[in-house]
Amino acid sequence: MEIPYIVTPRKDTGLFNSKIAIWLFLASEVMLFGGFFSAYVFLRLGADFPWPERTLPVLPGLINTFVLIGSSVTVVFAWASLKMGKWRHFQIYMGITIACAALFMVLKAIEYNVKFHHQAVRLTDYTVVEGHLGYEKENGEYVLNHHGSEVEENQIRIESGGLTFSTVRYHKPWVEEILSQAAHRNAEIKLAADVTARTSEGGNQDTLIAKAGEPLSLELLATIQKAHLKARAHNGALRTASLREEWKKTKAENPGKRGWQLASDVNIDVKALEEAGKLLTEISTVSFTVTPPVRLDFRPRDVREGETQSRLRDDTVIDGKLLPSPMGFHYVDAIDFRHLAMKAVNKGLDPIAAVENSWLIQNHTFAREAWEWNKAQVAKLEADLLKDHGVNEETGKPNREPTAKERYRIDWKDFVAMSDGVNRGEGKIALKEEFMGPDYKGREAKETFPMHFDLPREQVRFASKFTPAWNTYYALYFTITGLHGLHVIGGALVLAYYLFFGRKMFNSNPEWLANRVEVGGLFWHFVDLVWIFVFPIFYLM
Amino acid sequence: MANTAEEIQKSIRTYLIVGAALFVGTILTVAVATVPALDIGHHGFDMWDAILGLAIAATKATLVAAVFMHLNHEKKAVYWIFGSGIIFVIVLFGLTAFAKNDPIHDPLFYGRMSTTPAPLATPTLR
Repeated sequence: MEIPYIVTPRKDTGLFNSKIAIWLFLASEVMLFGGFFSAYVFLRLGADFPWPERTLPVLPGLINTFVLIGSSVTVVFAWASLKMGKWRHFQIYMGITIACAALFMVLKAIEYNVKFHHQAVRLTDYTVVEGHLGYEKENGEYVLNHHGSEVEENQIRIESGGLTFSTVRYHKPWVEEILSQAAHRNAEIKLAADVTARTSEGGNQDTLIAKAGEPLSLELLATIQKAHLKARAHNGALRTASLREEWKKTKAENPGKRGWQLASDVNIDVKALEEAGKLLTEISTVSFTVTPPVRLDFRPRDVREGETQSRLRDDTVIDGKLLPSPMGFHYVDAIDFRHLAMKAVNKGLDPIAAVENSWLIQNHTFAREAWEWNKAQVAKLEADLLKDHGVNEETGKPNREPTAKERYRIDWKDFVAMSDGVNRGEGKIALKEEFMGPDYKGREAKETFPMHFDLPREQVRFASKFTPAWNTYYALYFTITGLHGLHVIGGALVLAYYLFFGRKMFNSNPEWLANRVEVGGLFWHFVDLVWIFVFPIFYLM
Repeated sequence: MANTAEEIQKSIRTYLIVGAALFVGTILTVAVATVPALDIGHHGFDMWDAILGLAIAATKATLVAAVFMHLNHEKKAVYWIFGSGIIFVIVLFGLTAFAKNDPIHDPLFYGRMSTTPAPLATPTLR
């Protein structure tokens, strides 16, 4: 069938049909992104924490803006080439466009990846520490876990003497992890007591399913689970059958009565079933002992820890003493007192005094040194601003004052400046560091960076990587840039289709292909247009 | 609508100029946000920086829409379709004004604070 109005315009609209369609789609896209941007405005106005303004590295965002603008120009050139019947030029321009899209996504992936490996912690007094987790070094070596890899996460350490697994809910990878940790520390996990159960109806003798002292294994758990599930299915069926029986009996005894009038009288005698030996034994939990008791490490998000007993998310109960489980920062790349200062001001306290009384300043020499350095920098900046901009004649206040960020946030670039003995903003930062964050290993040799911050667990209020969980700013950042990234991928796929599979259509109906490319190009320009707003809003404001 | 080969040849120059303008605009956006001498309003980020930044972004977006997306010489139907989308978005942004009156910002909403905190002389936090 001939598709109408793909080349010639329709009389009433004056446009070919796909163009109407793409504009309808773009109008809905405007509303979609508009919704997210208004969410941004709403959440920023209502934020109860200091908004992390101008926090992302500008360079990757700037390069991405150039890349997208460049691709917008080339896509319009690709369309123009088609209109002029130059296939070769079309191929070149479209090729550049798609290469730009790929470059954009690569840069975006690097940006995301850096954030996913970047830890943030909010202490109980609202001090924020950012950096990378890792455990202290021994003889210049990283402490490796039993898998031989660097530990990048905080760990909850429990000296475990006993483990009780939920027969149905145990999570296989966690059991394997526990087994390998125990093996690494030369401990044995053995069944605490015989597991016996009535496995067939009417049997008076319990069957031995597993013997005390059997080592923990997935097979053993599976055997017990099988027996448990079989018993549960059997008992469930039995209860249903006897309930049906009861109903039949009661109905026969009370003719003419309605179901709801009888419901309270219909009960099954579970005890009788039990005594008749009809119910099988359900084994909902199974306990093991760890000999000797050893340290087992768990991720904070998997465990709810307690002093003597902890519980994993799969309902595994761990008996044993909770060991000190500090958050070990291998590298700290920012100390941020903005939230603390904001809270102090809200309570009517002097924020400077509040910062100086904070746990971090009181307990870490480096933090104290950095704070003193920062105070001197702020004083210098204050003096400079006063000199350059003077005071307001009416209020007597300086016209320009340092921002909260300058006053209360000390980040890795400041650490660099501090150890180089120069002023803020004058430290030498390598180009790669602008993308990937500080080059810790390179800088470590020069002892530029604060290391081995141990934050006791009880000081931690909230910890997260730089993911949407950290705060609404990052939630919005990932939502909007993620959605935009999907648009880039989608647009690039469509344009790539025209590039690689368009030749046939170019030979048969070049106008049609030109119209298709125009429509694809319109979408591509829209993607660029969204980024034009995303860039300043997320990177510069 | 540029449809003949000659017309398109002519508009190529326009596309290049607009492309260059977009690059300049981007550099300008970064400059006003990072160069202290170009900082308007108070020191650091504030309302005026937001207005200026968004004004530059809006100009760039208009250039893209008008020239690259040919909105400067498009049929009426397109204006109607896209215009209605824009109007809805403006209304949506208008709704964010209610954030100011949202009870969540009222410290008394949960009955936690009995007295309002004393105003501070120095330092100011924005």
